[in-house]
Amino acid sequence: MQSADTSLRVGVIHGPGNRITPVWFDLNRCKHSVREITNVWRDRQGETVRIHFHVTDDGALYELVYDLGALNWSLEQLEAL
Amino acid sequence: MLWKKEPIVALDSSRVILHVDMNAFFAAVEQQSNPALRGQPIAVTGSEKRSIILTASYEARAFGVKTGMTHYEALQCCPQLRLVSANNRLYTDISTRIMALLRDYTPLVEVSSVDEAFLDLTGSLRLFGSAERIGYLIKSRIKFRFGITCSVGIAPNKLLAKLASERRKPDGLTIFRAGEIPRLMESLPLQELCGIGRRLGAGLNRRGIFTCGQLQRYPLHLLRKQYGVVGDKLLAMAQGIGSGSVIPCEQSAPIKSVGHSRTLREDLSDREAITAFLLQLSDMVGLRARRGQVAGRVVTLTVRYADLSGFSRQQAQGDYLNQSADIYQAALKILDQLALEQPVRLLGVRLSQLRHAVVQLPLLPQERKQALLTIASDSVNNRHGDFTLIPGRLLEQKDKGSHVISPAWRPEGVRNLRVQ
Repeated sequence: MQSADTSLRVGVIHGPGNRITPVWFDLNRCKHSVREITNVWRDRQGETVRIHFHVTDDGALYELVYDLGALNWSLEQLEAL
Repeated sequence: MLWKKEPIVALDSSRVILHVDMNAFFAAVEQQSNPALRGQPIAVTGSEKRSIILTASYEARAFGVKTGMTHYEALQCCPQLRLVSANNRLYTDISTRIMALLRDYTPLVEVSSVDEAFLDLTGSLRLFGSAERIGYLIKSRIKFRFGITCSVGIAPNKLLAKLASERRKPDGLTIFRAGEIPRLMESLPLQELCGIGRRLGAGLNRRGIFTCGQLQRYPLHLLRKQYGVVGDKLLAMAQGIGSGSVIPCEQSAPIKSVGHSRTLREDLSDREAITAFLLQLSDMVGLRARRGQVAGRVVTLTVRYADLSGFSRQQAQGDYLNQSADIYQAALKILDQLALEQPVRLLGVRLSQLRHAVVQLPLLPQERKQALLTIASDSVNNRHGDFTLIPGRLLEQKDKGSHVISPAWRPEGVRNLRVQ
């Protein structure tokens, strides 16, 4: 697994309701379109709730994590073709 | 009638066991390898003419198509059903790769069949976060790499992990935490527990036991009286206690026998054809025994007739055997002592009472030559595939090898049966 602790921007659709859907992310000035969200789940780290998204672009599987306390995103590449 | 509950032995909640169950595995692999089949009701059938439905896609299951149906029955349920002939090599290859992926999370992976495995994650949590995260990682990676879905169950033991994975199908993930297990077991129907089959379940139902809660309250001495030591096991299962640990392939108990059986394309009466088949089965048994470095002292021949009646006969040999020719001669000797009453539908050859066998070249020139020939032939078959070098008598035989993935199939070791 490869950690990507770099500047990250995520394009998200909010709604309907309190639903959050990442549609693209920009990593090191390289924009990746989210092709599929394979899994979504929540966990808790102390007081903070985090939403985990497993997403694929055309060549890799990533884990995008949205921290509902700090309102920020982090990303980890899980697997590449 | 209400009985007093037997004291509950504490559930060991220190372990974290994950069960992975691939959803409609054969059908999902077929749909991935042929995009035209995606979203279609399909059923995978054996390659044999007389085979049944091995598995059906979820689209076909919606029409009522089930494993074990004949082609006719399945097509009655779903006229637009597409029947796909099983590609066992593809399934075992994908399964082997999935099992390798699971070992990224723990070395304690127990492959329970071609499409199921248990993982002991107890020591892996600090490295990967939570069991839930590992479950989702496994699901996402399998979907990403192979395009197929699986159901995951996480619980403190194998019994409950298996139960959890059955809860949400397809593509689910269910966690049973230790605190919620007594409430869960109270209303759980008996037949949902792995290990309580139709017959045992019906027997318990006759005693007024339908749920695990009722079984917990049933007097243990009555269970023991009826089922012997199984009574204790039934009570533990009803309490959600599963004693078995996750045993990886390399630590599993040594095999007790090596065998092959096949349902013939058509019922055979001709002795020549039957013995040719026996030769092929003996060759397969011998090759696997030599690969697994075992030799056996007892050879068993199984015959099933056209009316599905059948029998097995075994004979102890003077020495431990693993040469195909020796196994064939022993099986032939048993066959010669029998008077076959009907055409034969199925034949099987098994080697048992095994012991570890190392290759030792005989001193006598003729035997030495034979042993060297076997070593050379095995190395060609191991390198270029089974049945590359075969006895001349089998050249004309059309369907060689095993066409079924045995429930005992494992990705490595002597249980790694190479299917056609």
